[in-house]
Amino acid sequence: MLDTLTLVETPEGIALHLRSAGVMPRACAWAFDALIRLGVIWMLAIFIGMLGESGFGIYLLVLFVLIWFYPVLFEVLRDGQTPGKKVMGLRVINANGTPVTWIASIVRNLLRTVDMLPFGYAFGLLACLIDPCGRRLGDLVAGTLVVYAQLPAKQSAAPIAPVVHAPVQLPPGERAAIVEFAERAAQLTPERQQELAALLPMLTQAQGSLAVQRLHGMACAFLGRG
Amino acid sequence: MKQAAFQSQHEEAWLAFERWLDARTRPPSRELLRDGDGVFGDSEFPAAFRRICQQLALAERRDYSALLIQRLRDLVERGHLVLYRPRAPRARRIVDFFAAGFPRLVRGQWRAMTVAAVLFFLPMIGVIALLQIHPELVHALFDPAQLAGFENMYDPASAAERLGRENGTDLKMFGYYIFNNVGIGFRTFASGLLAGVGSIFVLIMNGVIIGGVAGHLTAIGYGGPFWRFVAGHSAPELLAIVISGGAGLQVGMALLAPGRRTRGRALVEAGAVGAKLVLGVFAMLVFAAFVEAYWSSIAWMPSPIKFSVGGLLWLGILLWLWRGGRGQTDVE
Repeated sequence: MLDTLTLVETPEGIALHLRSAGVMPRACAWAFDALIRLGVIWMLAIFIGMLGESGFGIYLLVLFVLIWFYPVLFEVLRDGQTPGKKVMGLRVINANGTPVTWIASIVRNLLRTVDMLPFGYAFGLLACLIDPCGRRLGDLVAGTLVVYAQLPAKQSAAPIAPVVHAPVQLPPGERAAIVEFAERAAQLTPERQQELAALLPMLTQAQGSLAVQRLHGMACAFLGRG
Repeated sequence: MKQAAFQSQHEEAWLAFERWLDARTRPPSRELLRDGDGVFGDSEFPAAFRRICQQLALAERRDYSALLIQRLRDLVERGHLVLYRPRAPRARRIVDFFAAGFPRLVRGQWRAMTVAAVLFFLPMIGVIALLQIHPELVHALFDPAQLAGFENMYDPASAAERLGRENGTDLKMFGYYIFNNVGIGFRTFASGLLAGVGSIFVLIMNGVIIGGVAGHLTAIGYGGPFWRFVAGHSAPELLAIVISGGAGLQVGMALLAPGRRTRGRALVEAGAVGAKLVLGVFAMLVFAAFVEAYWSSIAWMPSPIKFSVGGLLWLGILLWLWRGGRGQTDVE
């Protein structure tokens, strides 16, 4: 099972495409969160020093909140993202694709205690490596997943070109390939485009940039422009 | 229908949907968005979301280009996260939970709770009784430095202003009790996932240690200040440890004997029950820490008042757990 893609059907009859995250990005997110928490507690310690004995009580209260509630509050109130997860582009969600709920987030973060056993998140690491979706023990009991938060796709349409009709009827798969070639034009250098277009001399019946132009024209025809 | 026609027909709706998502997700605007300035109102969002879902299904069915499908998928995914966002906890539901839901949940798990209570109270009472007969056995439990610490804290000869501590203000001790005791409560629950072994270990361990301290101090005649100190917060604290142990045990049982469910399903269900129980444990331990820091430590309070308040708390909490939410059904 190398593919980490999970399809989850929503009540609307749509399949959500969830890509679960592996050990490394999650460990980095955890380390980032740990740094933030250390920073906060360190800054606080400077202030607290001035308050004397009672300050130590406040220090312990803040430490308690940072240890147990920091992940829960961020995950539920910030769309499943602690600051560390946000930096790494991760998100916690319920296994059914909905945003993580209070109870689920509480369970997965309380059970960190077990994931940390016997030392250095060893149980969590083991579970993460065995589970096809990369869940640690807390995720298994809470019914949650850590997935990549998708960045909104950049808008780039196929370039406008004079419509060219293909000399032969092409099957749907090949038409889709030509449209995809046109839509990816912005990401390819002209040389690479010509190289690819040169693979289809029979279809374009041209060379160099004219072949590229013709393929773009065919894509426009398939998309129904003009 | 060709893709270009489909796109030009719906482009405006998609852009409006995108603007609504932007307005709704980035700095969350509190007021309802009304019609006008190109953004539709909140009440129209679910219908707009379903329309886009349908358009995505059409686009996939008609083999439209990967770019368009990806764009619609992004819109659906973002909309899905907003539409199915968990509701903010309402004050009413929180009150209902502590008044009725939590006691019902504890009674619903009575088997695990009974086992946890036996595992905790039996060693505790046993050790207290044993130390009255064989006081020297206390050296098997604690080293001399620890014993000296306990004896120092509860020495009736030292006219301490504060009971149960060597030094420290009330606030410092409150912070310490929260950090320490609630942490123990949480870990007692979580370690239940290890087939219940962790919870069993923590319950017995705590029973023996608490019993050891109580038994030793009673045996050497320091019982007065000690019992005066612990009377107040003993009920919420000890019962909370038992409940978190029970919550852990039922998770362990879900792993060992899932019954007619898959193990994964049983664990998820037990986890949800456990989390709710732990919320109640958290409230009980915060209350206990408050009592322990601000009430139990008052040295001048006459013993009868201390013991009657402690007794009333035992009675009240047991009554709450036994009768709370009777004859009601869960709202959810």
